[in-house]
Amino acid sequence: MLNKLLFRNQERKQLNIAIVGSLLGITFLITSIHYLIKVNEFGKGADVLGPNTIIVQKKVSNLNTLNIAKTDFSIVEIEAIQKEKFVLDVKPVVSNNFNVSFETADPLVPRFRSDVFIQTVDPSFLDVKSDKWHWKEEDEYVPIILPRDFLVMLNTFMSASGIPQVSDDLAKQIKFRFTLSNDSGKEWVDARIIGFTNEVASILVPETFMTFGNQKYGDETEAKITQIMISSKENGFGLVEEMVKTKHLESKSSQMIVGRLKSMVGTLILVVLGISILAVFLSGLVLIQYAQLLMSRNAYEVRTLLRIGYPAKQLIRSFFVYFLKIFGWITLLGFGMFFVFKLFLDSMFEDGGLYIDKGITMISILALVLAYTVFAIASFVNAKKGVYKQF
Amino acid sequence: MDITFQTIMPIPLASIQHQKDSIWGNDFVLTQGKKILLNASSGKGKSTFTNLILGLRKDYDGKLLYNKQDTSQFTSDEWTSIRQKDIAVVFQDLQLFPSLTVKENLQLKSNLTGTFNDNELLEMLKTLEIEDKWNQPCGLLSMGQQQRVAIIRALSQPFKWLILDEPFSHLDEENTQRSLKLINERCDQLQAGFVLTSLGDSHQFNYDQELKL
Repeated sequence: MLNKLLFRNQERKQLNIAIVGSLLGITFLITSIHYLIKVNEFGKGADVLGPNTIIVQKKVSNLNTLNIAKTDFSIVEIEAIQKEKFVLDVKPVVSNNFNVSFETADPLVPRFRSDVFIQTVDPSFLDVKSDKWHWKEEDEYVPIILPRDFLVMLNTFMSASGIPQVSDDLAKQIKFRFTLSNDSGKEWVDARIIGFTNEVASILVPETFMTFGNQKYGDETEAKITQIMISSKENGFGLVEEMVKTKHLESKSSQMIVGRLKSMVGTLILVVLGISILAVFLSGLVLIQYAQLLMSRNAYEVRTLLRIGYPAKQLIRSFFVYFLKIFGWITLLGFGMFFVFKLFLDSMFEDGGLYIDKGITMISILALVLAYTVFAIASFVNAKKGVYKQF
Repeated sequence: MDITFQTIMPIPLASIQHQKDSIWGNDFVLTQGKKILLNASSGKGKSTFTNLILGLRKDYDGKLLYNKQDTSQFTSDEWTSIRQKDIAVVFQDLQLFPSLTVKENLQLKSNLTGTFNDNELLEMLKTLEIEDKWNQPCGLLSMGQQQRVAIIRALSQPFKWLILDEPFSHLDEENTQRSLKLINERCDQLQAGFVLTSLGDSHQFNYDQELKL
């Protein structure tokens, strides 16, 4: 009966406009947050190199060939890049200074041997757990990150030998071996694959292994830094790309394209997210304003109920619960609409060859909960103010 | 519950010349169980008196005490409790809900404290000869009928004092007497007192005390 009395004087049209506005705002909010996260996650796991990371080297020109221009990086050049505001970190890529070959060492796999080029990068650039990425002399094996092209080559060899090809997971079970050598000696060290990379052409090893090899088998010339790794801040990839061009550097184009795309799409979604937050805020404001209007239309009823002994808290609860229910329905419907949108957008991405993880992100749900909580608090404060005004 | 007025002077009435025995500006006590007539002409503050007792107005000098407790220190929860259990009111403008039926208006009040069931409410309507209005919206009733509904609504709670602000202004003598009898019986039942404000008519009732404004 209390509800019949308090919610009879309604301006339905205004309420419906506020509901539709909030519904659209909530739907866009959760959709944009979801895809912002998914775009940032895109490519994660497929490569052990951290996100927004590229390896660059100086462009080789005729001057380099004539030994007039340098192809290595000086410490000053590296520090200058590090100082750029869009750069998160810069580290040299250290190469081997000794002879090294790589071969299979597993009775289940035919022998395959090749001279290789190994490199090491700072662990902060790698998307691997630090407890896996270390090596000391007494260790059973050295962990390595293999170029994916190398696995393709290995599989081609396996196929030609009439042996089934191996998957990423299976390749990690195969035993490999490095042979380190110079004119005066030779040594074998077992190796195991712990990850793959599309971006580096050489086998990556922990820094301790590289130091060990360079010290024991190196040719004693000082190693030159011909490649550096640069990681950009979120959505700063475009600026890194610009810097690469300006400084006459080069990188693998695939890295650039993915980074550029992620940066562009991320920025676009950020804009949509901003608009969505604004839409949720404005429609929430319209709903709150509607609640105020409702309370002012029912000022007589509220005042009289208080005068005949109804507790202010009970009336506040009535208004509060009413608007909580409305926003609850909006939130649920918004989530439903997001789900439908998601099905549609995911299939669009798939049609375009982009396979984005289909799980729902926890942060999107948290954003909904946050929006609901903010509205609940605003509703409560509004109801309390409105009721006590009539006391 | 005794209600004590200590030199209370509502600020809007401060400029008016009051009689020596007026309740405004003097000390007096409303002792629980007394039946009191408050006689005054228009504009002397009868409704102000009602609103002040119910805690609806705070614009006055002096002190209002309930059982020696200063009401200026009461919280909104305490005032709510007083309005639910200690003081019932028939407002001059009745303050019914016109869109709700008689039944709903009465239930809204009675259910708050679980005082009367529907049969008991109907019995009181019957006493005041408006039981046939049970399902009619209050807004469609005459002023006299609405006044009787407002009286029954005020009786539908526990109370120690009943404040009646010109409750019979639209009733004929017969209905006035019926209403007054019902009010008196309910007050006796609860050992409560009442204050009836009037424009000069005592309605042939034997009051314990008469106050002036």
